[in-house]
Amino acid sequence: MRTHHFVETYEKHISLSDNAITWLWIGSLIVALAAFPFIASNYLIALATTVGIAAIGAIGLNILTGVTGLISLGQAGFLAAGCYTTALLIADYGWPPELALLAAGVVSAALSLVVGIPSLRLKGLYLAITTMAFSFIITHFLLYAEGVTHGPYGVRIKDLDFFGLDLTSPTQLYSLVLAVTIIATVAALNILRTRVGRAFTAIRDHDIAARVMGISLTKYKLSAFVISSFFVGIAGGLMAFQFRFINVDIFNLLLSVEALAMVIVGGLGSVAGAILGAVFIVLLPEATREAIDLLPTGVTTMLSTYIYEIRGLLTGLTIIIMLRIEPHGLIGLWRDVKRYWTHWPLSV
Amino acid sequence: MDLFLNLVASGLVIGSIYGIIAIAFAIIFKTTGVLNFAQGEVMMLVAYVSWSLGTELTLPFWALIIVSIGVAALIGVIIERLFIRPMIGQPVFAIVMVTIGLAVMLRSLIVILWGSDAEPFDAAIEGGLIEIGPVVLFSEQLFAIILFFFLSTAVFLFFRFTRIGIAMRATAMDETAALLMGVDVRRISAFAWAIAAIVSGLAGITFAIMFSRAPDLWFQGLRAFPATILGGLDSPLGSGFGGLIIGVIGDLSEGYIGQGLKEISGFVVIIIVLMVRPYGLFGEKELERV
Repeated sequence: MRTHHFVETYEKHISLSDNAITWLWIGSLIVALAAFPFIASNYLIALATTVGIAAIGAIGLNILTGVTGLISLGQAGFLAAGCYTTALLIADYGWPPELALLAAGVVSAALSLVVGIPSLRLKGLYLAITTMAFSFIITHFLLYAEGVTHGPYGVRIKDLDFFGLDLTSPTQLYSLVLAVTIIATVAALNILRTRVGRAFTAIRDHDIAARVMGISLTKYKLSAFVISSFFVGIAGGLMAFQFRFINVDIFNLLLSVEALAMVIVGGLGSVAGAILGAVFIVLLPEATREAIDLLPTGVTTMLSTYIYEIRGLLTGLTIIIMLRIEPHGLIGLWRDVKRYWTHWPLSV
Repeated sequence: MDLFLNLVASGLVIGSIYGIIAIAFAIIFKTTGVLNFAQGEVMMLVAYVSWSLGTELTLPFWALIIVSIGVAALIGVIIERLFIRPMIGQPVFAIVMVTIGLAVMLRSLIVILWGSDAEPFDAAIEGGLIEIGPVVLFSEQLFAIILFFFLSTAVFLFFRFTRIGIAMRATAMDETAALLMGVDVRRISAFAWAIAAIVSGLAGITFAIMFSRAPDLWFQGLRAFPATILGGLDSPLGSGFGGLIIGVIGDLSEGYIGQGLKEISGFVVIIIVLMVRPYGLFGEKELERV
């Protein structure tokens, strides 16, 4: 059990963690992640890239849904907006990828203002439906505004040069995604510790009380939307880098549900939880595919026909099981384990 | 003018389907406070089971409907018992998330069990083409409209006059008081799910007869969201009426403004409705101001 733990200086007070061992672990994790491409196959690197992008998106959604308590079923829309912004700016307008990625975040954030305004009057379910409606409208626009978005033909990006990184190579793309993920994590952790972050939590816990305490709901709900969508837009932009051919089909309702599943499975309101959830939800279908391959051949062919359905089935089941058994998510599980061992042998 | 009337008529047909599904949404929301995101999938499941029964047993249409009603009630009760009942006492958000998970799960399960092909749902609704003035409708389209009015009336009478219906309204109004008056509150939720499954299941069957039994049937459930928001989430009749309006708006905008708008106009409408009148046209206004 940790005792004699005094915070004596301001530096200690404002640091993310004042525990040297925590920093050691974080350092080794980052080193391990940076060294990962040297030992892993291209497939694993691509998978890790997907996890990273999902984590950035989940961190964003967590700010909105987990911290501020505004449920969004429209993540596919924001992702699509970011993804198309980057892809179109590079493919059709010849923007440098660095700026195009930033533009993805900005466009997504600007769009979120449009959705955020109805949210000022709506709560819970109504907001979920509004955001869902919004994401349908965005994908519909992308499909039918052929002159701007190439409609059903999709957008193709040829080559990508990002500050000297050649993003067509999986390894270099991985490095970029890793860097952005780390920046996003640190940014989110710090935002949540400021006045803005505390205001978000206050709004989630009791909006009327928050209002009485002098927190402008208009300002902070909209900020939550803008900040969160900026992250999601960046994730969308990175998706454009990863796929290099994008089509509106992937931005469906299942994607929004999966995004929400990441935040719930990981643990609402926790940045680390969002990352854990992203890892879990992305790796779940892969792990199942591996497990299915171990089964007899007949079963394998039958199941691989329905791989998309099995993915949906597992996502749905995971959401239900997590909500039933561990509403605090994976991060809650982790905290319980940690508490058990720090208090041992006095733990219950 | 003929185009207009025909668009209105086809809008009313699809609007009837939306309306019936919206009634199902409202029944569950009114009694349990949960918005059931899986309603479209429940409807799809009922339609699929009914299709299988229809092809296997070659029942006459009326018998198939009766059997389907029984199946739907069973499906509703089972889902409520397995997934919703254990969540009692949890925040509404968690329960709604469970229905979202359930939706994704059911959708995949149905495709795994029945395959991803669309099949025609051959049921004998005799009559062929029916002409009403300049408007031409298929008999099954007319059946959809008749079913809508029949179900709205039935739901209205049910809530107004039957013992269970009154108990359900009482529970919706004040759960504790209802409990103290001897209402078995736990059973009410099961009843709500069963009735919603029956109502939406009938819509699903009708839709499958009009088009086909296809794996995108669940999407009609999402299309019905605008209807229930427009009409008021806690008002079954209002929701039904909202369905008609959304259906007609969809077809008119498709016919006069642009292609593809049919799918999206409903969602545009709800964003506007939610900004102006979040409790819907017929919903009860909640007094909560911030």
